[in-house]
Parts: sequence; C-alpha cells; structure tokens
Amino acid sequence: MKNTEKYLPVIPVLVAYAALLAYGVLIPGKWQIASQLAFYCALGQAFNLFMGMTGYVDFGYVAFLGVGSYGMALPIYHLSDKGLGLWLIVIGIFLAAVFSFILSLAVGAVALRLRGAYFAIATIGVNEGFRFLIEGARIWNGSEGLLFFLHMRTAFGKQTATAISNYWADGMVFAVAIVAAIMTLIYMRNKVGYALTALREDEDAAKVMGINVTKYKITAFITSAVLAGILGATAWSLKYSYVYPSDVFEIHYTVEAIINVLLGGAGTLLGPLVGGIIYGVSKYFLAIILPGFQLLIFAPVIIAIIVLFPEGTVGMLKKKVIGTPLEKYII
Amino acid sequence: MLKVEKLESGYGSMQVLWGPDLEVKAGSITSLLGPNGAGKSTLLWTILGTVTPTNGKVYFEGQDVTDLPAHKKVNLGLTMVPEGKNLFKEMTVFDNLSMGAYRKEAQEVKQENLELVYSMFPILAERKDQLAGSLSGGQQQMVTIGRALMTKPKFIMMDEPSQGLAPKLIMEIFQTIVKMKEEIGLTILLVEQNAAASLGAADYVYVMHEGSIKAEGTPDEIKGSDEIKEAYLGM
Repeated sequence: MKNTEKYLPVIPVLVAYAALLAYGVLIPGKWQIASQLAFYCALGQAFNLFMGMTGYVDFGYVAFLGVGSYGMALPIYHLSDKGLGLWLIVIGIFLAAVFSFILSLAVGAVALRLRGAYFAIATIGVNEGFRFLIEGARIWNGSEGLLFFLHMRTAFGKQTATAISNYWADGMVFAVAIVAAIMTLIYMRNKVGYALTALREDEDAAKVMGINVTKYKITAFITSAVLAGILGATAWSLKYSYVYPSDVFEIHYTVEAIINVLLGGAGTLLGPLVGGIIYGVSKYFLAIILPGFQLLIFAPVIIAIIVLFPEGTVGMLKKKVIGTPLEKYII
Repeated sequence: MLKVEKLESGYGSMQVLWGPDLEVKAGSITSLLGPNGAGKSTLLWTILGTVTPTNGKVYFEGQDVTDLPAHKKVNLGLTMVPEGKNLFKEMTVFDNLSMGAYRKEAQEVKQENLELVYSMFPILAERKDQLAGSLSGGQQQMVTIGRALMTKPKFIMMDEPSQGLAPKLIMEIFQTIVKMKEEIGLTILLVEQNAAASLGAADYVYVMHEGSIKAEGTPDEIKGSDEIKEAYLGM
C-alpha cells in the first residue's frame, strides 16, 4: 500500500468532526450538545485505541480521566496568583499527561500480565481505589474536592475564564478526539497495529512469531491512558472549574466508553465516532421525550444493536464496502 | 541443538514438569510421545518461555536461554506451531503468512520464504486471499505450519499437528514434516498422540508420563519394547 493511500481513512474522520464542529458553531444554541457529543466521541476514540485494538477491557479506565482532571486542577488551584496566565493550561495538560502516564504504567505493569477476563476484573477496582485513597488520605483536599472558579478568574481574567469554560475547553475536546483518531490510524498502519491485531486474535500465536506482546500492549495502554488524562483535564476541569473525587472516578464513564466503542465497532477507526454520536444523540433525545425512562429504553436498544450487529455499525459497514471504492476510506 | 536439563514448571501451585531431560540433535525429528496430561505441551511452552520455568535449564545451540522471553527466542530461530490451529481467523491466508515474517530478519527474506511455503502447500497460493477461518481443518493446519516457516526458524516445536484431521490428511502432514527436515534442513521437536505415525517419522523418541521422561530410544527400540508400548502408548 502506498504511503498516501495508507492514511486515506483519516478523511472521513476529519470530515465528520468538521461537520460536528460546524453544527455547534453555526447553529445557535447547539454548541453545548455538539461539544457533549465530541466528548463521547473522544472518550470512545481514546478507549478504542487500547480496548479495540487489543481486545482487553479496562473497567478502571475512568481513573485516567480522573487523575488527568486533577492534573489540570492542581496548578490552577495553587498557582493562580503567580501571573502565569495561559501557561497554566499548558502546565495543566502536561501534568494531566504525566499523572495518567504514571498511573497507566503502574496499573499496566501489574494487570497486563493477566489475560482477558482476569485483566477486566483486576482493573475494576482501580478507579474506586483511587477515589478512596484521595478521600481517605485527604490528598488534594480529599472529598471536598477542588473548586477553582475564582482561581480561574484570578489567573486568566473574568472574560477569558468564561470563554475558556464555555468554548475553549470544548474546542480542546474536539482536538483530543481528532488526535486520538489519528494516533489510532498511525498505530493501525504500522508494526504496532499488526502486532496488536495478532495478539487480539491469538496471544500465543503472536508470541511464537517473535512479537514482544507485553511491549505493544503497554504501548497501546499508555497511549490510550494519556489521551484519557488530557480529556479529563479539558472536558471536566477546564469546563466546570471544579473536581470532586466522587464525580471524576465514577465507573459510569467507563461503561459509557465501552458502549460507545461497541456500538460503533471495536477496533475500527470510525467506530467510536459513530458510536459516540449514536449514544450521545439517543441519550439526549430520550431524556427530552421520556425523562426518567431513558435508561429503561436505552438498555434494550443497546442490547438489540449488539445482538444485531456484533461487529458494531462501522464493523458491519466495513464488510459491506469491501470491493467498492469506499473500501479505502472506511476502516 | 536443543538441550533440556531437569526442567520444572507448572501453573500456580500445581507442578506439571518434574525435571525431564531431553536432547534434540540438529537436523533430526525428535518425537515426544505420551498420554493426555503427561505434560508434553507444558514442556514445549516452558521451552519457549511462555510458561516460566521454576528450575532447570534450557540450552539452544549451546547458549543458556532458560530465562529469555519468548520473542527473543524466536529471534534466535526457535519457534512453535501451537496446538489447535492458533490462526488469525479474521485475516486472509496471505496476511497470516505475512504475520509470520514479523521480525526484521524474517521480513528481509519474506518473498523467498513465501515461495517456499507456496511450493510446499500449493493450495495456499490458490487461497491466499481467502479468510483463514473459512479454510478446512487440514488447510488451516497448513497455514499454521506455513506461518511458522515464515519466521525463518532453525528449530520448530510442533504440538499435535495431526489433531482432529482425517487419516489421509494425517499422512500428508507427516510427509510435510519429513520434507521440512530433508528439504529445508529444519530440526523438529514433535509432540504427538498418534504414536504409530510419529514412530514412523521420528529419528529419536522420548516417552513422557506424569511430567518426566520414562523411556527413550530410536523408534525401533521403542517399537521393540512391549512394556513401553503397553504402559504408555496404548499400542
């Protein structure tokens, strides 16, 4: 495959995010829903990088978003009067990446030795464990969390602080989603991707071909975790100007990530995007049409989709377009 | 070429290998026979390094490789054809074979090796664009063997290559194994339950039972001993 041809699938991804961005910017009053959808897409996109490509389900995934949100909150909370201005955001993103990197290295070194279901069970407590650690040991203000609405105003000025919360943070979520998608494509088209596909299908067979499976698993795990950390920093800390341990370590978000990926198609590039939009839109409208009943309706809908299209919507689409010109674009 | 000394390993607190000694001479087919649960597969996985040895030594071409991780052993030219057709079912035959040429040294001679595999298994050349999962059992076994050949090995361990195949195909697989030795010059350690066919192809035989080697000898010696045949091989 020629080099340019290898990266053609990035086009539909960019078009879709541009369309979502345009929808939010051009139609008055739609920015919030567009950015909420972008959050689901980014969450799925980052989660898919590990789960989709290796077949390992990390139930503690939200912990990476959680430590990432602290990575952003801490410098703003403590250094707002140092006159650092917008550098604080750069520091915050850097810290978010460092925190999630360290946590993923620690979790990965232990849990990635386990296979399949054992890995899932081992990771299930990571987020809860971290929450109790922060609350119990009163690290970073413990269960009171960090509120830095006023600190944001001191650091950036009132107008800029409002603009950051209302627009910039959402813009960065779009950026995380796009970066995660591009990383996924780069992995897919290089040696890492082939190694991951091989180990997803059969880990023992991958080993007898001389693939260092541990190395590639941990590479994908860390990449996915760092993207999640930055997502937590932007989508939660910057947007809401507060961090509560009980919110940011909520397992609910891991479940949403899994649903987004499965609806769209695990291991596909477009899947998390499509899945995130299906999930976000149906959640939004069900909450309007039948408030209070949305989960009751949502559960069977998800079951139905997963039974009907076990490979996800994009997984199914991918099979349909084999042999057509679209084949090069949809993966 | 390969030497195993007093190797011990197991799963958790359950010890499976109780110190078998074994030697495979370069350019030979060495067959490892024994009933279910004797620890034959565990021995192969321990040699490869996927199951961690708790005691004993593994030497490959004179070098101590006991604690080398699996992927590094593959780099030295040691590989394995796992039991039960560990294929990448969702990939095409060609992609499966290409995966075999994953490491750099194998990548360089990929075309050459590919031609070799296609000449040994012409049917795979015909079916190269078909999904591996859609092939028949015998053809899937050919892909697994072909994929192992693509790693450019010197030494192949095969775990029950004839398992679940029709009698005619079993003969073909054994002919292929002999060809691999004679035409490519590979050294093969063969684990089999099919004692009769295995004794026909092997140069040397080990009989394993309850995690250790109970008997060894040339195929004729093993065939000549009614005691061994009755006690361990059910012949």
